[in-house]
Amino acid sequence: MTRHLILEDGTVFAGEGFGSPATTFGEIIFDTAMVGYQETITNPIYDGQMIVFAMPVVGADGIHAEAYESIAPKVRGVIVHDLAEVSTNRQRRMNLDRFLKQHNVPGICQVDTRQLIRHLRETGPQKATIVDVVDDHAFDQLNATVLTNKQVQNTATPKAYANPGHGFHIIVIDFGLKHGILRILGEYDANVTVLPYSTTVDEVLTLDPDGIILSTGPGNPEDLPESVLTLIRVLQTKAPLLGVGLGHELFALANGASLQALPAEYHGMNHPIQEIISQQIFYARQGRGYVVDWHSLNANKLFATHRDLVDDSIQGLRHRDFPAFSVQFFPDGAPGPLEASVIITDFFETVADYVQESN
Amino acid sequence: MAEKVVLDQAAMQRALTRITYEILERNKGGQDLILVGVKTRGEFLAQRIANRLEQLEQVQIPVMAIDITNYRDDRLHEEDNFGLNPDETVNIIDQKIVLVDDVLYTGRTTRAALDALIQIGRPQAISLAVLVDRGHRELPIRADFVGKNIPTAQTEKIRVLVEEVDGRDAVEITN
Repeated sequence: MTRHLILEDGTVFAGEGFGSPATTFGEIIFDTAMVGYQETITNPIYDGQMIVFAMPVVGADGIHAEAYESIAPKVRGVIVHDLAEVSTNRQRRMNLDRFLKQHNVPGICQVDTRQLIRHLRETGPQKATIVDVVDDHAFDQLNATVLTNKQVQNTATPKAYANPGHGFHIIVIDFGLKHGILRILGEYDANVTVLPYSTTVDEVLTLDPDGIILSTGPGNPEDLPESVLTLIRVLQTKAPLLGVGLGHELFALANGASLQALPAEYHGMNHPIQEIISQQIFYARQGRGYVVDWHSLNANKLFATHRDLVDDSIQGLRHRDFPAFSVQFFPDGAPGPLEASVIITDFFETVADYVQESN
Repeated sequence: MAEKVVLDQAAMQRALTRITYEILERNKGGQDLILVGVKTRGEFLAQRIANRLEQLEQVQIPVMAIDITNYRDDRLHEEDNFGLNPDETVNIIDQKIVLVDDVLYTGRTTRAALDALIQIGRPQAISLAVLVDRGHRELPIRADFVGKNIPTAQTEKIRVLVEEVDGRDAVEITN
């Protein structure tokens, strides 16, 4: 069935509907990675957003159990050039079309995604809708839509839960956690407790953590309450702390830095990242709409540890006084290169040091 | 003779990186810092830490090498020789010294290095960074910065290899 993608600036693209036949609204962004559509679609950082995939054919791997980054996708729409109906993956049990139908996520294919992405690179993210008919009503609806800024509330856990292991006790503060973080902590047999982001300092310290992780999450970190920054300012003095994605942005804010919104969000894995101290270069999955402003770094508190060699953005920070550090990119490799997982290794070595010293 | 690599090149680099971050954290930056490497391997490790500090902070940290042969407690002192080459010697008075060695074992090497250092001046503080702490201390000495704790049996041998002398980076254990 022919459906239409309408952007807030009036641009219209015609295509074929797939997934759910519902009308959908969201903020439209694009992803340039060549692999990992299932991980991307299920990543909670895309809450409230519609994703355009630059990869010309999407869906050829089907959908499988080990590639979920959350239980149910939070995206509002999936826009692809060609939707693959045929799969050669023997593990495939479900295709993308059926998966999106089940989760009530609309998709549109046969869209000229190259033109669309070029357009979005210039305009930046904007509101968009997928509808059956292009008429005044559709535009009115789109213009009247107010997108939520409560994405973290929508995706983060409201209640604490445990993911037990036999290793170090790691507290994860959940801002809309992707499963990759729990998976990689599982590789270290960490004894994990996930706490909601509204948790208090006392609740965290009562659990006697060996290390603390500020999780990834969706949305603008500045929409979160000040209490989160206060929490971080105290916790970073108590135990080794690692911030990832949104957690990195919050760690920066908590230590006096400010953020810049990117003219076009970057979602992909083709930017070389340099570790400043060793000058070594590696690649990692990135997904960001904001970066920490170089000029806002308070040299008495933070210094940059990693930078993106394409846009020179800060990709990693470290506190001067405490074993607390953060990365903008995703070190869990779900999807994407695994080489950035050394960040997690470093974190556990820091935790081991801390535990040994406090004994 | 079984040989086992406990740290490969990448892990060794990461350990040095982590030590560097910890030195910055403990020292509140690179001011008044001097790195003193215990010859032979420690000297190269100290240089690498200095290179890392330079990348991060754009500061040149003085690096000295120290030869402790004449301060060992298992040898008679034949001549009154300083462990430091006078040409390379920097003023250490009131500076913060980080002593860098490859392996911390009995603590006797460290004690000898401390003697050698104190003979040339009174630093504000001396801390100890080692790539490997293998345990079995015989003196009341402990490291402030440890790359890797490797519990060992006393019959085992730990070898730290550095590219500058050995052609490759690795930490190996043999028994």
